[in-house]
Amino acid sequence: MIETTEVELFERSVRQATERHTGEALDGALREVGWLEALTDDAFTAVSILFPLQGAANAVSFALDHVVATGLGLKRTTEAVVLPRLGTWAAPGAVTDGRVAIRGLGTRALLRSDRAVVVAAHERGRFKVGTVSTSDLNVRPVQGMDPAFGLVDVTADDAGFGAYPDGSGDTWSAAVVLAQLALSYEILGAARAVLSLAREHALDRIQYGRPISKFQAVRHRLAEALVAIEGADAVVTAVREEPSSELAAMAKALAGRGAQTAARHCQQVLAGIGFTAEHPFHRYFRRILLLDQLFGSARSLTLELGDELLRSRRLPMLLPL
Amino acid sequence: MDLPTFRKTLDDWLDQYASQLVPEHDGRGTLDEAMAQLAKVKRLCYESGWMRWGWPERVGGLGGSPILRAYLGEALNARDIVEPDVYSMTEVLAPTMISFAAPELAADMVPRLLRGDEIWCQGFSEPGTGSNLASLACRAIRTDDGWRVTGQKVWTSYAQYAKRCVLLARTGSQDSAHRGITALFVDMDSPGITVRPLTAMHGSDEFCEVFYDDVAVPFERTLGEVDRGWAVAMDLLPYERSTSLWHRGAYLQRRLERLLAAVPPDALSAGEVGEVAQSLLALRARSRTTQYRMAEGQQLGAETSIDKVLIATAEQNVMDLAVHGIAPDVLIGDDATSERWRAEYMYSRAATIYGGTAEIQRNIIARRLLDLGDDR
Repeated sequence: MIETTEVELFERSVRQATERHTGEALDGALREVGWLEALTDDAFTAVSILFPLQGAANAVSFALDHVVATGLGLKRTTEAVVLPRLGTWAAPGAVTDGRVAIRGLGTRALLRSDRAVVVAAHERGRFKVGTVSTSDLNVRPVQGMDPAFGLVDVTADDAGFGAYPDGSGDTWSAAVVLAQLALSYEILGAARAVLSLAREHALDRIQYGRPISKFQAVRHRLAEALVAIEGADAVVTAVREEPSSELAAMAKALAGRGAQTAARHCQQVLAGIGFTAEHPFHRYFRRILLLDQLFGSARSLTLELGDELLRSRRLPMLLPL
Repeated sequence: MDLPTFRKTLDDWLDQYASQLVPEHDGRGTLDEAMAQLAKVKRLCYESGWMRWGWPERVGGLGGSPILRAYLGEALNARDIVEPDVYSMTEVLAPTMISFAAPELAADMVPRLLRGDEIWCQGFSEPGTGSNLASLACRAIRTDDGWRVTGQKVWTSYAQYAKRCVLLARTGSQDSAHRGITALFVDMDSPGITVRPLTAMHGSDEFCEVFYDDVAVPFERTLGEVDRGWAVAMDLLPYERSTSLWHRGAYLQRRLERLLAAVPPDALSAGEVGEVAQSLLALRARSRTTQYRMAEGQQLGAETSIDKVLIATAEQNVMDLAVHGIAPDVLIGDDATSERWRAEYMYSRAATIYGGTAEIQRNIIARRLLDLGDDR
């Protein structure tokens, strides 16, 4: 565990970095403030510091690649990683006889790397972790809902696969937990930023001779947004303290759904100004919609949980006192 | 006593005494049966020490963290040994007595509540005073030998069983609002008190109207300072949203578990089940944080309104799921188990009304947590 004062110092410099930079400049700034070292030392603390700030600043970086690589136990955490397809946390690759087929996504890190890390299913629920040459991949930059995110679509039908000797299924679930936690933090950071925009607007905007923050209908929408955020946040914090696959999936679902609930209420409060392209609301909204779909969406994770509960007919005992 | 030891030894004890602790009635039982069960369980738990952990020694407790109380109530609710509605009264009223009663009074009275010798009630709401608690009209007039109380209370839970009442009365002028209220600890067998139970839509008469006609209350029964009863109420309300809320959350989890065991294949969609389970987990995670904040001695306040909104929503979600999943039982079943589901479903409709409505909670969140200023 990192020392408290170190954590405070790290948080301050990460905050500055995310507020001032995005994209490659942010990656450079994060390297300077020791993000990779912090991630290696104590991944859960590092993730809990960077991702809420990145979400709040609407910034992008390659940090998610680093997080997945760290979750996979890789020594060189700076490699680009192929991410699962939209709406799922299933491994993006399938390997047979040393060749891999890939249907996945990535960040722009993939465009700059010679090799990329791929997790591939091989037989009955088992995984192999390895790398592929990016020249063997079809990499298509995506504009889509959130052009600023810099997503790329990745496919390969038959690429050469250099498996790491010790890659196993356990490391994939550890990577998924860490990625879901990071994304949950980022989603909630974005949701809090949206709430703060809506709150300031409600206090400033005068109608009928008074700020609209005086109207109960407006106040209750903002209260609803905060409840959705805090309910999810409590579970996200619990994942950081007691990580498990079950808990991380539920946290990601609650964060995704909670942020969309918050965005719906806040957009209504922001009304006309929030509908313009010059207001930052839409950038956060786009980011929330996209992040919700990475490593399992609120919808897919909830269906998965419901199926399991109906099958087992029992409720797991989570978060004991 | 630390929590892991407490948990282990309590769980063993609950297993060992399971046959004695289990309710004798099926389903929800009558109110008389529920009260008898509560008294039996509290006495057994008190005699074995469980009910005394987490309470200060000066009121008959054995000391230790309030987390121990949170776990005791959770364990009793999770095993269907007590109902959260009747059990929670202790968690709301004992802390108030400890904070505001004269030390001798608290030392005399609190053990009776913990031991299950007595039921207490809480006289806050009035016919003209629902959400706007500061508008209450029940008057306490100062005389040479004590207070004389006259007025009417309503929605007083279990008043017909109660030996004592924590009562809010107006001691200032009629328009003194929250500045002119005093909290009193009243014996319910005092001359001039009439209790009239109301049958509520869930089929139980837990709520009562209570009439006070020139009821004498000694000055020593004043809780806190005269005209400072608002502080007592404000101190008490977060307790409703901390330990007892944790206990109720454990009960809701148990009910969802029962529902999962009983639901026919294909009666429920995976999406609705998953979402309800997630809402219960969010409540649990949030409330767990509150338990630890309370255990560290932090002052609980407006932030517990979030816990309250989460539990009201989760409770209605669980019971809505029950109506969807086991409709034949809830709607046309006449056995004790069906009756219980039906009563619980109906009771859950009030989750957004009692203890501060959903709207009041959102007002508090908007004003105190979002700092939106007042709404006038």
